[in-house]
Amino acid sequence: MTTVTHEHEHVDEHAAPPAPTGWRRLTAPGWLRVPWMIVVFFGIGAGITVLVRWLEGWHPIWKGSIITTVELTTVPLGFLAGIGTFDYWVRYATGAPTAPEDHSGHGARSWRDYFRVNTDHKVIGVQYLVTTIFFFLAAGMLAMFVRAELAKPGMQFFDNQTYNGLFSVHASLMIFLFVIPAFAGLANFVVPLMLGAPDMAFPRLNALSYWLLPMAGFMMLGSFLVPGGAFATGWTSYAPLAVHQPLGQVFFNMGVQWAGASSIMTALNFLVTIITMRAPGMTFWRMPLLVWANFTTSLLVVIATPFIAGSQFFVMFDRVMHTHFFDPGHGGYPLAYQHIFWFYSHPAVYIMMLPGFGIASEVISVMSRKPIFGYRLMALSLLAILVLGFSVWAHHMFVSGMAPWLRVPMMATTLLIAVPTGIKVFSWLATMWEGRINFSTPMLFAVGFVSMFVIGGLSGIYLGAVPIDIHVSDTAFVVAHIHYVLFGGSLFTIFAGIYYWFPKMTGRMYNERLGKLHFWLTFVGFNLTFFPMHLIGVQGMPRRVADYAPRFADWNLFISIASFGLGASTVVFLYNMIWSWRFGPPAGGNPWRALTLEWQVTSPPPIFNFDEIPQVVGSPYEYGVPGARHAVLNGDRAEVGELEEVRRT
Amino acid sequence: MICVAIFAVVAAVIAYSIWKFRAPPDDESDGPPIHGHTGLEITWTAIPTALVVAIAIVSAIVLAKNGDAGSNPLHVDVTAQQFAWSFSYPGHANLTSGDLRLPLGRKVELKLRSLDVIHSFWVPEFGQKQDTVPGLTTKLVITPDRVGTYPVICTELCGLGHAVMRTSAIVMPAAAFEAWVNKQGKALAGPAGQAGKTVFVNNGCNSCHTLKAAGATAKIGPDLDKLPAEAKGAGKPLDAFVHESIVNPNAYVAPGFPKNVMPQTFSQLPKSQLDALVRYLVSSSRSGR
Repeated sequence: MTTVTHEHEHVDEHAAPPAPTGWRRLTAPGWLRVPWMIVVFFGIGAGITVLVRWLEGWHPIWKGSIITTVELTTVPLGFLAGIGTFDYWVRYATGAPTAPEDHSGHGARSWRDYFRVNTDHKVIGVQYLVTTIFFFLAAGMLAMFVRAELAKPGMQFFDNQTYNGLFSVHASLMIFLFVIPAFAGLANFVVPLMLGAPDMAFPRLNALSYWLLPMAGFMMLGSFLVPGGAFATGWTSYAPLAVHQPLGQVFFNMGVQWAGASSIMTALNFLVTIITMRAPGMTFWRMPLLVWANFTTSLLVVIATPFIAGSQFFVMFDRVMHTHFFDPGHGGYPLAYQHIFWFYSHPAVYIMMLPGFGIASEVISVMSRKPIFGYRLMALSLLAILVLGFSVWAHHMFVSGMAPWLRVPMMATTLLIAVPTGIKVFSWLATMWEGRINFSTPMLFAVGFVSMFVIGGLSGIYLGAVPIDIHVSDTAFVVAHIHYVLFGGSLFTIFAGIYYWFPKMTGRMYNERLGKLHFWLTFVGFNLTFFPMHLIGVQGMPRRVADYAPRFADWNLFISIASFGLGASTVVFLYNMIWSWRFGPPAGGNPWRALTLEWQVTSPPPIFNFDEIPQVVGSPYEYGVPGARHAVLNGDRAEVGELEEVRRT
Repeated sequence: MICVAIFAVVAAVIAYSIWKFRAPPDDESDGPPIHGHTGLEITWTAIPTALVVAIAIVSAIVLAKNGDAGSNPLHVDVTAQQFAWSFSYPGHANLTSGDLRLPLGRKVELKLRSLDVIHSFWVPEFGQKQDTVPGLTTKLVITPDRVGTYPVICTELCGLGHAVMRTSAIVMPAAAFEAWVNKQGKALAGPAGQAGKTVFVNNGCNSCHTLKAAGATAKIGPDLDKLPAEAKGAGKPLDAFVHESIVNPNAYVAPGFPKNVMPQTFSQLPKSQLDALVRYLVSSSRSGR
């Protein structure tokens, strides 16, 4: 690799494509085409349904619940067609001349560019993050409602079905619309930069996978508006209960499909990008651990996500087409749902955790000014979790009535996962040891993550041991455990990542004092809210109930008050982000003095990331090694050769 | 204990690092370039491995012991449905009850079935839990070792009445249990009013409905003291209306209540019990007016 030619050095000449005028404004991709496209696709969906029902003689021919179910597929397609995610492919597939790539849909020159189909991974990364934070706030509000109802025994504000809807939508939004895509958003922004690549491998696919997300999110939120209320069967949505629920249930079945499709596309994109678009010299053993983490996560997504898609289709078929996958009266098998569901949803726990491990590794190494301790074992333990993660799903089913012999092997593999996870925790501690630690906000969240995740992991050992699990399964203990893992684990690392890369994304520095205030409010509020749940769970407080025995009243009131404080801490975060995005001091290219590639370019990075593809010459974590370099940018080749020599000797 | 120790070690290392290795604000130096230490890495792989293997073995042994029903257990058939529990004793002429009565100190083998969706049987004080799955019979072995009244809680989300799907497990001395068995047998064979009330309670009607005569106050389903008014609304004679609402609950759904919530399984009650229940509901709702 000697020189890299650029067809896009004159980016600015293409910056402003002629804006369409007159009628063309309605046919050009964009928000004006969305409404009438939705109407057209609504018509197609309703038309097909009515036609089929008329031909088959099913009465009534116009049946609202069936049409709604079909429209959950066609209306989002109408939106996507309107906004313009399919234009290029439709032209290509129909043999029409494709629009020559003028890069007008690439990169952001004004805030408007964030509200249309954009193929720049950095714009998509920001779109992802802003969208997911919106759903984070919505889901957080639902959690506040849940805690308000639980503040006292008996029924206060909601009826049972509404309450069940509140926690179901809360969990579904947090999992499918916040944690999973927020990590995808951070990785979207960072991974191509870290690899020394100009973009993702499939930029148009990348844009499509972003635009699928709001579909899924509004579908789940919108279920509150349909007759019968929101889906109310938890995010696990067990059959056969889910088969006989009001219409809102379909909004979950289909919402998961859209969110799942988005995740699968992004994961494929990451895999191809990581395998084929590494800069010269970027061997697998020189990749930053965040890239390793997203590589393993993407493998998990690609292998596991189709299983949840299948499980939700089966439930919907049982409901709409009168199949009997889960109906024992007609030869169905209810436990099959749980096996299929958890075959995705246990690996999903690692989909929601491994990218966080990657973020923690980046932040802890940079902020401690030391190389990652045991880099190769860190990467290998990710792979070990990937493999073991597929062999433990039935530990969610110890009390389900499944074949009893499955319990002990699943318990053994479950407990074994503690080993690679333990390796990671000990290695982070060893990385901090004797470092020169800068306790900035990202580092606080990373260290907070390590400590909270250890609690979540240890309560996981309790749950992994079958005899204890049998007692605490489906209690508040489980609620505590998953929040220590997903809040103390995933959310803390998402915050760490947002603060860490905020200067890179916006070019401005966030307010450090507010950042620290946010951390302490979150850390204290989080522990006050969720730690007591361990205790009341063991004592007999079940989960997913609006009403409970009076003896748990004191603790629940305490937890509710703490959770309102925790909710309020988000205001500090939002204020800091919005204010700093507009008025923060310029951050410079590399405020953390980090070695990985994304910090070697300007903040925010140029539209095509690097003027010239960098040459990677060493590990990304050589802090404290005299003369060591990770990569050479825009350097002369002699220097590169020299550095390669230095490494070999 | 081990878990607390592990957390203590991690927390201590973090606390020490925060105190000892904090860099002064203007310090731009790097830490020592330590890339790893093979011995340490092997240690913290090997020790946790040994620990979890030990935990797994102990758990497997405890699990095997918990599942052992012994040679002469008391058999109880547990039936779960939205949103009620009922228990029957095959060793005592299939006596049924709405709460679970157990004699002290004798091993009990529960056989659990569900008539509709998945439920889960849990008595926190027994430390045991088992899902009830439609189409399957699951088993649970318990040995009640203390006299008292404990809550039976459904812990698998089963629909809108999930939070109130509760009853009691009453552990009583063996003699008291025998006395209760005899009394229950007589109550079902007794005069219509008494038999009807027993059927009402034994089938868990009281977990969803209000009926003053039975002391029931739940609000998941319609108030049964208002049955005469509902019958008028449906345009049917009271006894026919009550009978139909039990065996085919979707035929008429009281305004303000969703369809498909009341289980359709009560049509399978023995005819004598069904008739007793209808007569009981008719007479007590009339008198309650």
